[in-house]
Amino acid sequence: MSTAQVSPEPPAPAKSPRSGSPFARDEMIRVGAIALGLLVIVILVPAIFSLYYVDALTQVVVYAIVALGLGVLVGRVGLVSLGQAAVLAIGAWVAARLLFGSGLPFELVLLISGLITMVIGTCVGLPALRLRGLYLALITLMLAGAITVALATLNFPNGGHGFSGYNGAFVHIPAIRRPGIATSDRAYFRYSIIVAALMFLVVLGHLRSKPGRAWAAIRQSESAALAAGINTTLYKLWAFALASFVTGVAGGVLAGAQQYLYSINFQTQDSITLLAVVLMGGAYSMWGAIVAGLLLELLPAILNNIGVSPDWLTILFGIGVLQVLTTAPRGIVEQFPRDMARLYRAITGAARRSSGRSATS
Amino acid sequence: MPIHLTVPRMRAGLAVLAALTLLVLAGCGSSKSSGGGASTSASTGASTGATTSASGSTGNTGSSSSTSLSSCGSKPGVKATGSPIKIGTIDTHQPGTDFTDGPNMINAYFACVNANGGVNGHPLKLYVELDQTQPSQIEGDAKQLIQSDHVVAIDGVFDLLECTLDAKYWAQLGIYEMDAGIAPGCWAGPNSAAVNMGPRYSSDGAVQYAIAKEHPNKIVFDQSNVPGTGYIAGGPTALANASHIPIKTETDNVPINNANSVALRLVQDAGPDGSVVLNFTPPEALVILQAAQKLGLEDRVKSWGCSTPCDTDFLAKALGPKWNNKFFVNAEAANPDDQSSPDMTEYKAILAKYGHNVAGGIGSFSEFGYVLAKFLVQALDKVKGPYTLKSVNQAIVGIKNYKTGLLCNPWTYGKAPLHIPNHTDYTVTPDNGKMKTVEGCTDISTSDPQIAQYLKAAKAAGINTGH
Amino acid sequence: MNGMLGLLHLATFFPPWVDEEPFLVTGLALGGVYALSGVGLIVLFRTTGVLNLSFGAVGAFGALIAWQLINHSGLNQWLAYLVCILFAGVVTLVYGMVFGRALADRDPLVKATASLGVTLILLGIMDLLWTSSGGASRAITLPTDNHGFMVGQVTVSTTDVIALAVGVVITVTTTIFLRVSRLGTAMRAMASDREITATLGVPVARVEACAWFGCGVLAGIAGILLADLVALDATTLTFLVISSIAATLIARLSSIAVTFLAAIVIGVVESMVVPIESLTNYADATPFVLAVIALLVLSRTRALSGERQGF
Repeated sequence: MSTAQVSPEPPAPAKSPRSGSPFARDEMIRVGAIALGLLVIVILVPAIFSLYYVDALTQVVVYAIVALGLGVLVGRVGLVSLGQAAVLAIGAWVAARLLFGSGLPFELVLLISGLITMVIGTCVGLPALRLRGLYLALITLMLAGAITVALATLNFPNGGHGFSGYNGAFVHIPAIRRPGIATSDRAYFRYSIIVAALMFLVVLGHLRSKPGRAWAAIRQSESAALAAGINTTLYKLWAFALASFVTGVAGGVLAGAQQYLYSINFQTQDSITLLAVVLMGGAYSMWGAIVAGLLLELLPAILNNIGVSPDWLTILFGIGVLQVLTTAPRGIVEQFPRDMARLYRAITGAARRSSGRSATS
Repeated sequence: MPIHLTVPRMRAGLAVLAALTLLVLAGCGSSKSSGGGASTSASTGASTGATTSASGSTGNTGSSSSTSLSSCGSKPGVKATGSPIKIGTIDTHQPGTDFTDGPNMINAYFACVNANGGVNGHPLKLYVELDQTQPSQIEGDAKQLIQSDHVVAIDGVFDLLECTLDAKYWAQLGIYEMDAGIAPGCWAGPNSAAVNMGPRYSSDGAVQYAIAKEHPNKIVFDQSNVPGTGYIAGGPTALANASHIPIKTETDNVPINNANSVALRLVQDAGPDGSVVLNFTPPEALVILQAAQKLGLEDRVKSWGCSTPCDTDFLAKALGPKWNNKFFVNAEAANPDDQSSPDMTEYKAILAKYGHNVAGGIGSFSEFGYVLAKFLVQALDKVKGPYTLKSVNQAIVGIKNYKTGLLCNPWTYGKAPLHIPNHTDYTVTPDNGKMKTVEGCTDISTSDPQIAQYLKAAKAAGINTGH
Repeated sequence: MNGMLGLLHLATFFPPWVDEEPFLVTGLALGGVYALSGVGLIVLFRTTGVLNLSFGAVGAFGALIAWQLINHSGLNQWLAYLVCILFAGVVTLVYGMVFGRALADRDPLVKATASLGVTLILLGIMDLLWTSSGGASRAITLPTDNHGFMVGQVTVSTTDVIALAVGVVITVTTTIFLRVSRLGTAMRAMASDREITATLGVPVARVEACAWFGCGVLAGIAGILLADLVALDATTLTFLVISSIAATLIARLSSIAVTFLAAIVIGVVESMVVPIESLTNYADATPFVLAVIALLVLSRTRALSGERQGF
C-alpha cells in the first residue's frame, strides 16, 4: 500500500515513430543543426583542448557508442544486458587482431569487427528468446564473466603470431595502427567523431523505421506485440545484433585510440558500471548515450587532473543509480533540464516577488 | 505526485547512510591517532610495524636525526623561495593497485629539501599524474606534464605500463626518466633507468637463490597473468636451463579466488624435491601462501621463493614460523629491519617527519621513492646555469656511481641502449614476524641473456657495473 | 551425445586420480565459499523478492571494520566479528527500509540493479578508507585455521568445515523456518504478493525488517568467513557475488537447498579443472559456464521471466 505511489509505468518511448519517410521535414532541420554542431566540435575541440583532454574525449566518443548500443537494448526494447563491456572487449580484440594481421584499410577493419562482434553478440542475446528481466540480466552477466576469463587467458593481440596474435615475450610492443589520415591524436579524435556520428545515424534509422516500431510494441507488452503479428523473436535478436554491431565498431575505435590493449582493462564488473552510467545518462534518449560517455570517461579525466581519487567516482555512480531508479527513471538527460526549468522558475518567481515587494514599499 | 513522495524518504536514507559512513570514518580516525606518534596513516597492515620503528628511530637518534635531516638541502633551516624546479611523474592508482606511496615519498624528500635551502635556493615541485592503467590516459599524462605543466624532468615513475608506452615520446624530447617500474620497457630502452630490478630480474634472483642453496631437481615458476609474462618468465627459464634444471612456468588469472587449488597444483607440479617460485603482488602472493599453510603444504616441496613484492613485514607476520628458512624472498633494496646505514637513518627520519601521506610506511615503495628523489637532487646540484629540460636531463643521464646504503652497488645512468643499473640483490626470509637477511649482495647471473647484454653494453659505454 | 564424446575427449587430459583426489577436497571448500553467499542471496530473495547484489560488499565492509578494530584498536577479535555482523545487519536493514520499500512495486530487475548502486557506493568507500598503496594487504585469520585433520594428502582446516557447516545450517534452518513458522509463511507470502499479504493482516513492515536484518547478519558472517577463506580484499569479496549468482541461477532463484548443492558442485568442478594443464587458466569461468548451460536447459522446459520488463 504505502509504496504504491512510486511511478509504476516505465516512461513511454521518446517519440511515436511516424509513418512514411523515417525523417520528417522538421526533423531534417534538427538533424542539420546537430550536424552543424558536430562540425564545430570536430574543428574546435582538437584546436582548443590540450592533448590530455583530446585523448579523454576520444574515449568519451568510444563509450558513447557503447552506451548507444546498450540504450537500444535497455531503453527501446526493455532487454537489460549486463554483458556489454565484454562485447566491447570482443570488438577491440577482433579489430586489434585484424589490424596486426592484415593490411586491410582501417574502415574495413571497423566494419568487419562490427560484423564479427555482431555474430557473437547475437549469440549472447540468444537466451533472451526464452529469458526475460532479471534472468536475462544475470545470464548476460554470466556470459560476460566467461568471456572475460577467456580473453584474460588468451590475452589481447600485441603483434605476435598464431591465432591469438599475442607474444608475451615482447619487450618492445608495436602500437596498433591507426588510419593513414588520422595518425595523430587530434586527427584520430575527428575520425572517431565521424564514426560515432555514423553509428548514431544507423541506430536512428532503425528507431525511425519498422524495427523501432516493433521494439516499442515489444517493450510495452510482448504478448500484445505477438498478437499484433510482430515477429518478436526476430526483432529481439535484431536489437542484440544492432547493439553488438555498434559496440564492435566502438571496440575497433577503442583499439585505435589506445593503440595498446591489455586484458587487465576489461573486467566483468565493468558491465555493471556501464549499465549504471547508461541509466544515469538516460536510457530512453540518444542524448543519454553521450551523457553516459561523458560521465564514464571525461569526468574521471577531470577528477584525475585535479587530484581527486577515482573512488569518489565509484561512489557517485552508485548514488546515481539509486537516484535514477527511485526518482528519475529517464536519467540526467530529462532530469537536468527539468531541474533547470524549476530553478529558473524559482529564481524568476523570487525576483518577481522581491520586485513586487519593492514596488509596494 | 508520486515522485515527490519518495524524495524525502530517499534523502532520509542517504542521510542515514552518510551518518553510518561518518561513524566508520570517526572510528578509523580515532584509531589512527592512537596508532603512533609518527602519524603516518595507520590504515594499512604494513604501517603498524613501520610506524613504531619509524618513531623509534627518531626517538633514539634525537639530535642526530636533525643533523641527518639537514643533509637533504644545501642551507639547513632556510626555506627555499626561488622559482620552483618542476618535476613530473606518472603513477598507477586504481582500486587494488595503488603505487602512490612512491610519489608521496618523493614529495616527502622534496619537502625536506625545500625546508633546507632547496636546490641552489630553488624549491622542488612534483607534478603527479595518476593513471588507471589506460594506455591512452598514460600517453595523455605524459603530454600534460610536458606541454601544460612544463616539467624539466621525469622522476619517480611507479607504473604498470608507463615505460613501454612513453618511451618514444621521451626519446623524441631527450628526456631520461628515472623510475621504479613494472613494465618491461623500464629496463629495455635508452631513455629509462630504474632503481628497482623489476619482475624479471627479481624473479631471477629468487630462482638463482633456490638453485644455489636448495639444489632442487625442478623449479615451478608461477606468476599473475599480466602483460609481459613471457618476457618475465624468460629470465628464470634461462637461469634454470643454464643449471640444467627443468623448469615449468605457469600463470594464474588474478584476483585468485581459488587459492587452495592453485597452491595444491604448484606443490604437485614441483614434487617433493622441487622449488616453487612466485611472482605476484603482495595480496595475491599472500593468499597462495596462506592457502598452502592451511592445507599443510609448506613441507611438501623443497623450498618456496618469491620476487620482491613479498618482501614486507606484513607477510612475515601473517605467515607464521613454519616458513622460516623455508620461504626465501628476493629483496632489491636493503632490509630496513636489520640495516642501519646513514641513508637508512635519513630515509626513516624523513619518512617520520614529512611522510604523512606514505600510507604503507616503511617498505620497498618508499625506499625506492627516497632513492629516486635523492639521486635527482644530487644530479640537480651539478647543473650549472638555468634548469632547463636539456640541462637537467644531461645531468640525469650523467649520474655516475651514486652511492646509497639502500642499494647494493653504486648507481649509474649513462648512455646505453638499455639500463639495468640495479642487478644485485639481497635475499630475506621470515623470522618472527619480520624479514631477516639471509644472503647479502649477490649479482644476478649473466645466464639471463638480458643481463649479459646490459653488461656488454655498459662496458662499451664505460659504465661501472661492479663486475 | 556430443557431451559424452566431449567428456571422453577430455578424459585424455585428466591427470591420474591420485593427483585429482586432493582437488576434490579443496573443491568442497570452494563450494562452501560459493554456498555461503549463494544461500545468503537466495534467502533474501525468497523472503522479500530482492536479489541483493550488495551482499558481498556489505560483508567485505564488515570484515574490514573488524580487521581495523582488531589491528588498530586492539579489540578482542570475537567482539570485532560481532561488530562486523551487526554493521552488516544494520546497513542491510537501513537499505531495505529505505530503498527496498521505495522500490517494492518495481520489477525484480530494478530492485537488483538498485542493490548494485549500494555495491558501488560501499566499494568506493572501502577503497578510500583501506587503500592498497605501498602494496599493503590485509588478512583475517580465525583461530580455527590452525586446527584441522588430514584427508588424503591435505589438511582440512576447521574453518573450511565451519564454512560448510554454516552453509548447511542456514539452508536447513531457513528452509524449515519458511515452511513451518508463522513469520516464515508470512515472508513467503509477502515475496509473492505484498498487497494481498498486507490485507490479510500480516505486519508487512516488521516482517520485511526481519528479513533484511537477517540477510545482513548472514552477509556479515559470510564476510568474515570469506575474508579468511578467500582474501580480505574489497574488490575480490564484492565481486565474488558474481560467481555465487551462478549457483542461485541453477536453482532458478527459488530453492535454497538446490542453491547449496549447486554451489558445492560448481566448487568441486572448478577445483578439479585446475590440475588439467590445458584448462587450468579457464577454471575461473566454471561457475559462469555451468550457470549458462543450466539456465538454457531449464528454460527449454519453462520460460523464466519477471512480470514486466525494463525499468
